[in-house]
Amino acid sequence: MVGGGRQSQPAGPAPPSTTLVLDNGANTIKAGFVTGSRTDAPRLIPNCIARDRHRKTYVASEFEKCRDFGEIAFRRPVEKGFIVNWEAQKEIWDREFFDDKAPQKCDPSATRLVLTEQPNSLPALQAHCDQMVFEEFGFASYYRGIGPSFNAYQDIQAIFQTPREPDTTIDIPAEVMLLVDSGYSHTTVTPLLQGRPLHTAIRRLQVGGKLMTNYLARLLSVRHFDMRNEPYIVNEMKEAACYVSLDFNRDLEKTWKGTRGERREDYLTGAGIAKDYVLPDSHTRFHGILRDHEPAVSARARKGVVVTEDIMTLRNERFAVPELLFRPSDIDMHQPGLADLIMQSLSVLPIGLWPGLLANIVVVGGNTLIENFSQRLQTELLERVPDACVVRVGRPENPITSTWMGAANFAKHEHVERLAVTKQEYEENGAGWVARKFAAGLGVDS
Amino acid sequence: MNNFGVIEVAGAKRTNAPGWAYVPDTGPAPTVLQPANRKRAARNQAKPTSSDISARQDTKIRKELEALDRDAPKDVNIPIPPKTGKAQTKYTPNVRKILQSQKTFTNHLDDYQALFALAETNPTAAAALNLIQSKPTPTHTPAATTARNSPAPPPPPPAPASNTTSKRSAAAAKRAAAREAKEAAEAEAAAAAAREAEAQAAAEAEEAAAEAEAEAEAEANAKKIDNDDDVEMADAPPDQTSATSTPERDSKEKSISPKGPQSYPPDGTILPAYQKPPPAAHPSDNDVLLVSPVPPFPTDDELRALMTAPPLSYLAARAEWGDAERQYPARTFCDVCGYWGRVRCMKCGSRVCALDCLDMHRQECVTRYGL
Repeated sequence: MVGGGRQSQPAGPAPPSTTLVLDNGANTIKAGFVTGSRTDAPRLIPNCIARDRHRKTYVASEFEKCRDFGEIAFRRPVEKGFIVNWEAQKEIWDREFFDDKAPQKCDPSATRLVLTEQPNSLPALQAHCDQMVFEEFGFASYYRGIGPSFNAYQDIQAIFQTPREPDTTIDIPAEVMLLVDSGYSHTTVTPLLQGRPLHTAIRRLQVGGKLMTNYLARLLSVRHFDMRNEPYIVNEMKEAACYVSLDFNRDLEKTWKGTRGERREDYLTGAGIAKDYVLPDSHTRFHGILRDHEPAVSARARKGVVVTEDIMTLRNERFAVPELLFRPSDIDMHQPGLADLIMQSLSVLPIGLWPGLLANIVVVGGNTLIENFSQRLQTELLERVPDACVVRVGRPENPITSTWMGAANFAKHEHVERLAVTKQEYEENGAGWVARKFAAGLGVDS
Repeated sequence: MNNFGVIEVAGAKRTNAPGWAYVPDTGPAPTVLQPANRKRAARNQAKPTSSDISARQDTKIRKELEALDRDAPKDVNIPIPPKTGKAQTKYTPNVRKILQSQKTFTNHLDDYQALFALAETNPTAAAALNLIQSKPTPTHTPAATTARNSPAPPPPPPAPASNTTSKRSAAAAKRAAAREAKEAAEAEAAAAAAREAEAQAAAEAEEAAAEAEAEAEAEANAKKIDNDDDVEMADAPPDQTSATSTPERDSKEKSISPKGPQSYPPDGTILPAYQKPPPAAHPSDNDVLLVSPVPPFPTDDELRALMTAPPLSYLAARAEWGDAERQYPARTFCDVCGYWGRVRCMKCGSRVCALDCLDMHRQECVTRYGL
């Protein structure tokens, strides 16, 4: 994984041959090198400093060594999608990229950095980022672009499995697409034309993986055990058990126990919805296990028979939690759901662009891995758009690294030469100039 | 009635006299006419007025949302583990300032808002915030949805210019009107020549205009030119577009493409027209029932304005409830089991689904509010 770029290059017009592509997410950093035409596979690094109940601290990739996830606490340098705490972020970057024993050793003075950020950042945070990159780390060349737009630098028609002739040229960046990025901190909708984001139409929904994990923890604390101090375990549970309901009313009906004294058939059998989640006991089992609901087992547990495992039966928690993405008003959040968010974004664009955008919706980010996410989004959108519109929702093979893959392709594209800023230029023109250049973006070719 | 000039004013303050009270009947909220426990009645007011409920609930909801939005349930302070062996390097002043900053995102956001508020009054601060643009209000309504199906819907208005640029936009509009007159004269000569002249005029105007005005003007330009093009497009026979549109939607390579190059401005360079031959004709292509309306495609200038627009501010990009979302009925859930919240607890107003959950809720409610 150790990239090239160790050879020192004279400071000058020649751009560095190695690019460090960094998708600095709130939960994980996706990092990898692009050297010439070769792209290394990205490495997923937890972007946190964690402390377990024995007061042992793990920084970034050391977290793999952690076994006991009970009562673990995290410190995250990224808040709401933006790098806020540089003290922690520098420590993590140092350990992963710049220290002598770093797993992805990199020499900044001979490397270009392509860094992703979330759209609509605060100018102060952007300025901090630029200053740190050049003044502290000293990268030779640098581009900071909004994450969603990098997704255009890949073959998006392959995601939709569009039938086409083999000789079709692949548009990179993609001509028209609508990107939905649902990550740890929030969910954004970004329409893209030729890889350029249409800034006036970018919209953000403040529901992300973190909020859903916290919501699940709250539900479980009311109904089962207090899980509010177990973010890691609850998150694992969310990833294993949650699914997006295609018929919320029906599923909710199936999980209802009935009124006093009544126990409905569906409730007792589980109706295919109820699942048993075996909690980790931190001695023999460090990760939870999801099982089909066995009424006998949970009944025994209720009667106080000694059982060796803690079982939690998940019923409507399984789909009520991801439902927040589509109906944030369920927790009295005054924001539109995801489908309405897309419609709000489209409403400020000319209607002539709608067919193109709606037929090329790509969803990325960890939340899109929740079962049925794409189907639900497609169904809800079809209800909202005119009949004549085609709605296609595609999810890349790996939605978590999709932005990184796009950014890696971008690092090989000629656009990077037009956008990147060298250290020399930064020193000559200052941080304000760099910020303006990045904000202006590519402009229009013709 | 002689009331000696004393006018009774309905006050917000309501004294809770023990024994009886006037209680407004404002809705489904439970009313307790007689507090069971008269001690400290004002403090333990079981049934606040309706306005109090909303304020109180607002606070509760806000607190709950904030709790859900937090990274950790309680404040954790995890210090960075000390480095082994490596001597502390020297930082530049900027870097030291950034590293030592303990600001959270909320602090940064507050700073930004303060700067933003300052920019409205102070032009020098506005220069520092040149990236800010007012957020266009969402215009998506059911009415708009139906309007979209009409054969030649007008394009939605571009983002309204911010208040500070109203003078400039007025000037730009005047200039654009003059240009329009000129263009009209030219259009009589030849349509193609006119389009060239338009582009030229637009280019000239852009060059001539001051940098600050360029944007507002380009927007006005785009609007004008777009209107002209709309007229031209309406001239095209509608049969052409309908003939090329196909009911086989799945076979579309790009959604724009099957509609054929005819429906798009041939000089569109930002999004070039579909070059390949359209899919094979289908016998029911001309079926009136199957024909889909093709919306007018935006012109290059319109697209250019969209693609070069500056980013919105953090708060402007946050989606808010539009009119459409307000119409959805609020869904309420049982606080205990998560089923529909069909019953409200008489004491605290929280929702439960049925008697079973109500019993369970009461146990908790009693400990909190007393019998």
